Amino acid sequence: MSTQPLIASDVDVATRTGDVWITLVWNDPVNLMSYVTHVFQSYFGWSRDKAERRMQEVHEKGRTVVSSGAREHMEVDVQAMHGFGLWATLQKSGE
Amino acid sequence: MRGFQAIADVSEFDAAVAELDAEEKAVIARVVADVGLLLGGEPFAMEDETLDDDEDPLFRHLRGLETALSDPDDPAVLRVLPNAAPDDREVAEEFRRFTEPELRTLKVDRLRTIWRALSDDGPTWIVPADEALNTAAALTDIRLVLASRLGLETDDDAANLHAEIDRAHDAQTGAYAASAAENPERVWLGMLYEALTWLQESLMSYVMRDDV
Repeated sequence: MSTQPLIASDVDVATRTGDVWITLVWNDPVNLMSYVTHVFQSYFGWSRDKAERRMQEVHEKGRTVVSSGAREHMEVDVQAMHGFGLWATLQKSGE
Repeated sequence: MRGFQAIADVSEFDAAVAELDAEEKAVIARVVADVGLLLGGEPFAMEDETLDDDEDPLFRHLRGLETALSDPDDPAVLRVLPNAAPDDREVAEEFRRFTEPELRTLKVDRLRTIWRALSDDGPTWIVPADEALNTAAALTDIRLVLASRLGLETDDDAANLHAEIDRAHDAQTGAYAASAAENPERVWLGMLYEALTWLQESLMSYVMRDDV
């Protein structure tokens, strides 16, 4: 991990409350487990093992958080998931 | 019908190939075109083609599908282009405004590509390796639309559909007395949905053959 001090603008972004958003992927009866796993691998760059665990979480718990960060980044992720036909939403973290 | 497999002659090019007869290809090509229309694309057709299949009983069910899909408020569109923030109308509307045209174009272009592949002569559907994930994504969109039409909201609904089709099949072979509840159009769409599911599953085995 880097020991370089954070530059001021990074601190601003990191400490401003309410700035952290999350992307959720929801269960649906249509998407194949294999397909969801592969989409997670190819888009998020996860290993097959990690992608399968997150897919299982969607299947069993109804949803999983796939990413977090600035709202604009979450919008990019949600758009990509919708492009693949997955049901994804974004919201402020903690809501 | 035979599901997707890696093409035997790997020296030629990396691709997946499924075997379908002319009727199966025509049915799938038609539903691909219908979903393209639903998403606001131009009709898919070869330049010299006339769509003269009004008398074909096979397409009667599909025509019904097309009519239902032309409604802009069709819930099927919401399955393909879902609400991105159900609890925050402002966020949802802004997301839709900025992303929907691009998403529709992506999805329609993808559907058009597989429609062309299905329009090729011969008993095969060839998907080049670099088109495989796009093809699987297009199959997902088609299945989302069919699932909406079939009222599949939960995992249980999908399992029940399968049981329903089995019962209809048993009825046809005389092993079961058909109940009035079994609607031939629903059974037909359900079988199409399951065939596309099976094709997509076989395509994913090909796509994921080297995933680690």
